[in-house]
Amino acid sequence: MTTTSTGAPPSEVPARTRMSPRRRARLSRGIQYAILLLALLALVLATDWSRVGTSFFNAGAAKDMLRTFPRAVGNTLTYTLAAFAVGLSLGTVLALMKLSSVRPYRWLATIYIEFFRGVPALLVVISFGFAVPVALGRTIDSFILKAALALGMVSAAYIAETLRAGIQAVPRGQVEAARSLGMSQARTLATVVIPQAFRIVLPPMTNEFILLTKDTSLIFLLGLTAAQVDLTYIGRDALNTAHGGLTGLFVAGGGYLLITIPLGLLARWLENRTGKARRS
Amino acid sequence: MRTSLRLAAPVLAGALLLAGCSSTSTPSASASGGVALVKSGTLTVCTNPPYQPFEYTDAAGKVVGLDMDLTNEVAKDLGVTLTTVVSPFESIQSGVSLDTNTCDIVASGITITPDRKAKIDFSDPYFNADQGLLVKAGSTLKSADDLKGKKVAVQQATTGETWAKDKGLDAVTFEDLGLQVKALETGQVDAVVNDIAVLGPFVKQGYLVSANFSTGEQYGLGVKKGNTALLAAVNKTLTRIHADGTYTTIYTKNIGTAPTAG
Repeated sequence: MTTTSTGAPPSEVPARTRMSPRRRARLSRGIQYAILLLALLALVLATDWSRVGTSFFNAGAAKDMLRTFPRAVGNTLTYTLAAFAVGLSLGTVLALMKLSSVRPYRWLATIYIEFFRGVPALLVVISFGFAVPVALGRTIDSFILKAALALGMVSAAYIAETLRAGIQAVPRGQVEAARSLGMSQARTLATVVIPQAFRIVLPPMTNEFILLTKDTSLIFLLGLTAAQVDLTYIGRDALNTAHGGLTGLFVAGGGYLLITIPLGLLARWLENRTGKARRS
Repeated sequence: MRTSLRLAAPVLAGALLLAGCSSTSTPSASASGGVALVKSGTLTVCTNPPYQPFEYTDAAGKVVGLDMDLTNEVAKDLGVTLTTVVSPFESIQSGVSLDTNTCDIVASGITITPDRKAKIDFSDPYFNADQGLLVKAGSTLKSADDLKGKKVAVQQATTGETWAKDKGLDAVTFEDLGLQVKALETGQVDAVVNDIAVLGPFVKQGYLVSANFSTGEQYGLGVKKGNTALLAAVNKTLTRIHADGTYTTIYTKNIGTAPTAG
């Protein structure tokens, strides 16, 4: 409608037929709302709500999962924290290596980052669980350590790149000031550059943590005992046993949101706080 | 042996009578010991490969496996050749392929269940779909009691997982058989539990199936409901191959271990 009126040949009294910008904006907004409503309506009409109820949000099936759910949330959180600890420490080392003036360090860090960023985490987890024990002839007894190392190694590649960007974003003047105050290079790095870099990379680091939370879903490949189950496992398990259709997956998904949403809020709060501290 | 032979005679006679009067679906009676076959001179078997080691296609494109070896024995006893027809498992287990005279026998690793019994006449069970315990060579683990306090690899959502949990064992759930065996190889678990039939290839790699755990699931060959003549012939063959050791040969060739007694 709008196109026909605006696209009319300019010879026919253009000033009259052309809409005012405000009216045009209102019309365009109206059309956008209409499209949204139509899409929602189509979705509501196309959905078989009774089946959605029984097979996605089946209360009985969800209740069956209650017994294992707290343990699964706890385990998922444990794996995430442990993997993040590994990823962060290894990532920091890699970031510093990447910025090192020693050339082989830079090469090594680059090779590591390119490799683990480019290989699917799934493959890394399988290799870590089954290829490394074959190669080294020994197995890691602690499951948490195994999971943390497998996932942390992948995460470290991403964290290293994020941190490197953060370190490089610290204004040069900061380093110069610290150096001119007589601080050694190492002390400048540890007390001036890295703390500021961490503040800069807080938002992408939250991202990294959330990604890691979801990556813990891969640890089922290492083989799980009943005490080691994570959210994805209990979700998939419910698919096999309960009658609630896909409810298990929805419950598991809810479990992940339970971890990631508060985390997002916490990160925002931290950002605001450090942001204020910076201004004052 | 003797009793079954004595029984077989009247059964065969009855079948001949039946074959004589019911010519609606025209299964032509042939020189196959009086058993009516869908296609004369050949025993047609419906199967659904791949289901190793029961039926799968070999390098030459021929359907082979334990089920084929067994039905081949039946065909041999009937004095006919064996023809395999690849069919969807759904039509096999629902009895449709038999009712439509697509084949004489269905052999596709079919577990005998009451539901299926209503649509198919099953032969005597020819295979116990047991769970097998795979251990490293030299291991002393032989029974469920030995496994107490040991780590046992099971596959998620399988009979083996249910079995291990029912026994209260320390089960480690894996995604597939390959990872189970890798975990055994690297010493992360002490034993692997899975279907006896799929463990065979690993025996060739130096592992050991040290125990069978019965699950009560048994495979049977199926014939069309009411086809007592063929059913008797099938059971007769099964009895024969059990008695003369052919069954053990076929079993060992396909499964990789000898069948357990009983």
